[in-house]
Amino acid sequence: MTKKRTLTLLRCLAILMILLLLFAGLNRLVEPKYMTALVEGSMLSQYYREAGGHDVIFVGDCEVYANFSPLELYREKGITAYVRGSSQQLIWQSYYVLKETLRYETPKAVVWNVNAMRYGENAAVIKESYNRLAIDQMRWSAEKVGIIRASMTEDESFLSYVFPILRYHSRIYDLTKEDLTYFFTEQDTTWNGHLMNQEVKPVGSFPAKRPLADYAFPAICYDYLDQMRKLCEEKGVELILVKAPSLYPYWYDEYDAQMEAYASEHNLAFYNFTEMVDELGIDFTTDTYDGGYHLNLAGAKKLSAYFAETLATRHGIPDRRNDPEIKAVYDEKLAQYDEAQKG
Amino acid sequence: MNLILFLVGLVIYASYGIGGMAFLAFSLLTAYVAARFVKGRKWVMILTVAVNAALLVFFKVLPYTKLTLIAPFGVSYYTFQIISYLVDVYRGKYEAERNLFWFALYVTYIPHLFSGPIERYDLMCQSLKDKRRITWQSLSDGGLRALWGAFKIFVISAPAGVLLSHMIADPKKFGEYTGAFALFAMLLYAVQLYANFSGTMDVAIGVSRIWGIGLSENFDAPYFSQSFKEFWRRWHITLGAWLRDYIYIPLGGSRCGKVRRVFNLLVTFFVSGIWHGLHYILWGLINGVFVAVGDKLKTRWKPLNIAGTFCLVTLLWAFFIWPDTVTALTMIGSVFTTFNYGALFAALPTMGLSAGGGIAFGVALILLWLFDLKRETLSAKASAFRPEAKVAIAGALTLAILLFGVYGIGFDFGGFVYTGM
Repeated sequence: MTKKRTLTLLRCLAILMILLLLFAGLNRLVEPKYMTALVEGSMLSQYYREAGGHDVIFVGDCEVYANFSPLELYREKGITAYVRGSSQQLIWQSYYVLKETLRYETPKAVVWNVNAMRYGENAAVIKESYNRLAIDQMRWSAEKVGIIRASMTEDESFLSYVFPILRYHSRIYDLTKEDLTYFFTEQDTTWNGHLMNQEVKPVGSFPAKRPLADYAFPAICYDYLDQMRKLCEEKGVELILVKAPSLYPYWYDEYDAQMEAYASEHNLAFYNFTEMVDELGIDFTTDTYDGGYHLNLAGAKKLSAYFAETLATRHGIPDRRNDPEIKAVYDEKLAQYDEAQKG
Repeated sequence: MNLILFLVGLVIYASYGIGGMAFLAFSLLTAYVAARFVKGRKWVMILTVAVNAALLVFFKVLPYTKLTLIAPFGVSYYTFQIISYLVDVYRGKYEAERNLFWFALYVTYIPHLFSGPIERYDLMCQSLKDKRRITWQSLSDGGLRALWGAFKIFVISAPAGVLLSHMIADPKKFGEYTGAFALFAMLLYAVQLYANFSGTMDVAIGVSRIWGIGLSENFDAPYFSQSFKEFWRRWHITLGAWLRDYIYIPLGGSRCGKVRRVFNLLVTFFVSGIWHGLHYILWGLINGVFVAVGDKLKTRWKPLNIAGTFCLVTLLWAFFIWPDTVTALTMIGSVFTTFNYGALFAALPTMGLSAGGGIAFGVALILLWLFDLKRETLSAKASAFRPEAKVAIAGALTLAILLFGVYGIGFDFGGFVYTGM
C-alpha cells in the first residue's frame, strides 16, 4: 500500500472513530437519566454501586420497593438488605433480576412479592414504558439479554435496547438540565432500593370486587417461579414469598390458596400481609401515599419492623451490628436516611 | 453474487405472501415462454400481454370486491416490465432471453419491485450479466446515494406524514380540515410523496450501485418543472417512458391531428390512472388535459411557470390524500372558498410535531430544495470527493437520520400508493 493510501486510510479511520464517539455520546445524551424525574428508572442500576454484603435481597414490583425499607430492617434487627425492585416488575423480570443479583452476591434469603403471579404473557399491564423503566439502566449481561427477550412487546426491537437513540431520538428536542448534569454521573435515588415517600393520601374507593372467570395463575408464572426457586436452591439461598399489604388490586382468596399450596409443596415460607394489617398496626388513613395502593414511609416502617422480627427469629437472618465495618456504613446511611425524612 | 441476489429476492418476496409468488411465477413463466415464440406471431404477444394486463386490472379492482385475495407484491411494476419485454422482443429490438435465470432475475430483482424504476430488459440485463465486484467507488457512491434516500424518507417524508395524518386519519373529521388545512395537507403530501418515492428510488439505485448494477433514474427534480408535460418527463420517469413507448406512440403519438393527439394523451393518462388504481382515473385524465394544453399556459417568466405547475400538481394530489373523488374535489374547492389560515396556524403546535421537530423538518426541506436545484453539479462533485469527505458525509447523514428521523414505536409509515403496487 502506498504512503498516500495509508494516510487516506488512517484519516478515514480517524473520522470513523470521531463519528463512533459522537454516536455513543448521542446515545447517552438522549436516553432518559431517571435521576430527578421518573426515578423508578434508576432503581435497578443504583444496586451496582452498592452490590455485595446483603443478607436479604427483595425482588419484585412497586409493592416491594415502596412497602419495605431495608434501613428499617437494619435499625430493628441489624439486617443488611437491598430491594431490587422496579415498576410493574413481572415475574420473568424478577427471575432475571434475581439471577443477575446472585452473580454479585449470595444472600441468606431472597424475598419475592407474589403480586406478579397474576400477570401472564398477555396481561394488559405489560407496557413498553414499564419495560424501559426496568431494563434501560441495567448493565449489559446475559441476564439483560434474557430480560429484554422475555419482556419485549410486539412493537419493540432488541436493537433499540442496544442503541437507545433508536427509541429516544425524539428527546433531542426535549432535553433538560438533567440530561447534561447526569451525562457522566448518577446519584442515589433510593435507600438501599426503597423509594421513600412521606406523603399521606388516605384510602379512597376502589372498583367493586367482582368474581373472576378464572383465578388460575398463568402457567408461565409457575414456570418462572420454579426457576427462581431452583436458582435459590442451587445457591443455597432461602426463597421467602410475601404478599405486601396493598388494598388494590385485590388479592383474592383463590390466589392466596394457590400460593399457600405452592409454598406448602416446596417447603417455602409465605406471608400474606394483606391479612395481617391489624397485627402490623397499619392504618390506611395515614400509612399510604396513594389511597391504599402502596404504603408511605410510616407504613413501610411498621411493616419492616414486623418483618425484621420475622426474618431474625424464623429465618435466622443475622444481626450485623457487631461487625464494625458494616456498622460504620449503615450508621452513616441511617443518619442520612433520618435526615432526609426531616424534609 | 447473482444467485445470492435472486435467492435473497425470493425470500424477501415470500415474506410478503407465498400466494403472491404463484402469480409472479405465472407471469414470469408465461412471458419467458411466449417471448421464445413471439417473433412473427402477433397473436402470441397480444394474448400474453392481454392475460397479464387483465391480471393487473383484476388486482386493481380487487380492493373494491369482497374477495380476500391479496395482490402480489410489485404486480404493477413487474407486469409493465414483462409487457415491455414481450413487445420489444416482438418488435425485434433484441432477442428473447434463452436463460430463464437471467430473465427471472430481471423480473424479480427486489430493489426495483418496491417502487420501481420500471426497467427495460435490454438496459438492465447487461448490467446483470456483467462481471461485477464491489469496489470502493461503487460502495461509496452507492452508499451515499442510499443514505441520502434514507434521509429523505425518515427526516423529510416521515415528519410530513405525521402532520398530514393529524388531518386525514379520521374520515369523520374531514369537515374540520378544509380550506387552509386542505391546502396544507396537499402541500405536505407533495413533500411526503416526493421525498418518500424519490428517497426509495435513491435507496434502490444506491444499493444496486454498490453491487455494480445500474438502475435508471426515476426523478429529475420534478417540482422545478415549468409545465405538466415537463413534469411527467421528470416525475416517475420510467413509468412516463413506458406509457409513451407502449401506449402513446403505438396509438399514433403526436404524429397525427390535434384531436387525435389529445385523444392519445387522454388514453395514455387513463392507463396511468388505472395503473395507480381505479380511484385515480379522473386524476389521470385531468393530468392528460393539462399535458395537452400545458404549453399554452406557459409564460415567459420561469419562476411563475414553476410555481404555477407546482400549485396545480399539488392540488391534484388531493386524489391521493382523500379516499374518494367527491371528497378530493370538495377539498380542492374549499381551498378557494375557505380562508381559515388563522385556525391553521393556531392548530400547528397540536399536529404531532414539536417545535424542534418542525425546525429540523424545515431545515431538511431546504436541504432537499437546494440539492434538487444543484443536483447535477452536486452528484458529479460528490462522486469525486476524497474518501475522507465521503466517510464524513456518510456519517453525518447516518447520525442525522438516527437523531432527527421520525421512526420507531408509534410511527406508521402508512401505505404509499407507489410501494409494492
